[in-house]
Amino acid sequence: MTGISLPNDFADLTPFLGWALPTADQRYNRRRTASREELRAFYDAMLPRIEAILTLVDGYPLGALPEELRPLYWLALSLAEVAPHIELYGGAPGVPYAFEETRFVAVHGNQDTALGLPPAAAAA
Amino acid sequence: MSETVHRWMEQYPELGSGPISTEPYISPEWYEREKEKIFRKVWLCVGRENELPRAGDYKVKRIAAADTSVILVRGKDGKVRAFHNACAHRGNTVISETGEETFGRSKAAIMTCRFHGWVYDAEGALKQVPSEQRFYDCFQKEKNGLTPVHLDTWEGFLFINVAEKPETGLLDYLGDYATHFAGFPFHELDYGFTYYTYLDCNWKVAHDAFAEAYHVDTIHAGSFPNVFSTGLQNVKLMGPHRSCAVCLTLNAKPTPVAGIANRLAGASLVSVRAESMLPPTINPDKREDFAFELSVLFPNTLLHISEGIWFTHQFWPIAHNKTLWEGRYYVKAPESHSQRWAIEHAMTLQRNAWLEDTATMEDTQRAMQSRAKLEQHLQDDEILIRHGAVVVDRFVNA
Repeated sequence: MTGISLPNDFADLTPFLGWALPTADQRYNRRRTASREELRAFYDAMLPRIEAILTLVDGYPLGALPEELRPLYWLALSLAEVAPHIELYGGAPGVPYAFEETRFVAVHGNQDTALGLPPAAAAA
Repeated sequence: MSETVHRWMEQYPELGSGPISTEPYISPEWYEREKEKIFRKVWLCVGRENELPRAGDYKVKRIAAADTSVILVRGKDGKVRAFHNACAHRGNTVISETGEETFGRSKAAIMTCRFHGWVYDAEGALKQVPSEQRFYDCFQKEKNGLTPVHLDTWEGFLFINVAEKPETGLLDYLGDYATHFAGFPFHELDYGFTYYTYLDCNWKVAHDAFAEAYHVDTIHAGSFPNVFSTGLQNVKLMGPHRSCAVCLTLNAKPTPVAGIANRLAGASLVSVRAESMLPPTINPDKREDFAFELSVLFPNTLLHISEGIWFTHQFWPIAHNKTLWEGRYYVKAPESHSQRWAIEHAMTLQRNAWLEDTATMEDTQRAMQSRAKLEQHLQDDEILIRHGAVVVDRFVNA
């Protein structure tokens, strides 16, 4: 994806656009391969803004988010992925004492979460 | 607590209290008997009716423990039927499979074998055979439909039984288990996430690791650090099935992002209902520390229900030391982006807990295969594991 950007009110989050990833698989891979410092910086930048982001995106029905707001919502979804690592796992990028993460397959893993689709596997 | 430390043994003395052999977990011969005496005989939960919403929707599911793949297909009459995925011509799979579960749709509700173009309808009838006249008189289309598999439903769950003649119908097989869970709004909580992986362990190693709460304080110290197990309540053994309440205490305030997510998800999932959505059979004493009902629908399905959420684990044997694990997590469909975000957070935390759960399984299998220990010791709160071992033994030696 090229040329994605954030609404002016959230321009301060621009350094974190690398976390604006549409799918759960992309977000978990980004988190898993990030450094501790990257996780912390992203979390610290996002936490004070998350409620404002959610209020903004709730101005649109689920599944009808304008394209220009999607990167902002993807950032929020990346916070959901990252938060347990800061809040519970002492900043570790991986889940501690866990099964190999890359062996878990999420059936919904390549959906764009912003589209609001049911996460179940569906017929083609 | 007034309960005695051995209360489950006192309630179910027939299960005994001795150590449990590890042989059934590591023996290829034992596994062959389980295939024959369990997986080819009993009802197996293979999905939800709403996975196939339209006529012509199908799912093919591999059932290695019954040496087959089963097509589940919704017909034009609205009925879901099950068939072995095997063509009457030369035995090829009719629907080409892409993995353990293959989803697809035929608007005309027909299935065409890729090999030579034989066409079947969703009732299993063979409709069309290219160059039919070149087959001989002994070949009759009407006798060469797909081989049916018994299928029945309960609370929106699809069950199959590959036996030629099942020993009991589905409702008899479920027995008290069906009434125990009757009334839970499975169909309302239909927003389902699925994870799967292959585990290099016996299916019972996987079952056992999930079928107790003794591990919560150690294994989930990462994802649920403020949660402590207060033990099992209301253990209920129902034929080959089993259920109990898992009780947990929460000792601290949620972390910041978890707090925001809980508030949002809470609004959508629980608080809109003035009263509990749990049937009266679940948590009958209305304990404050009730977390969720943990049950085993024999042989390979764990079903958990709680307020606003339910989840399943299924363990599909591939070999005596290889298992396909499927974890499914269901909530009410979100109505807003913030609710969808909160669900993402909850699902992420649950996935991480499952990563913690599955972490021990391959180690357990390897250690068991060393035969350094030939028995395992179970405490009173591990009664679901004991019951599982007793039931498996009963079936295999029947």
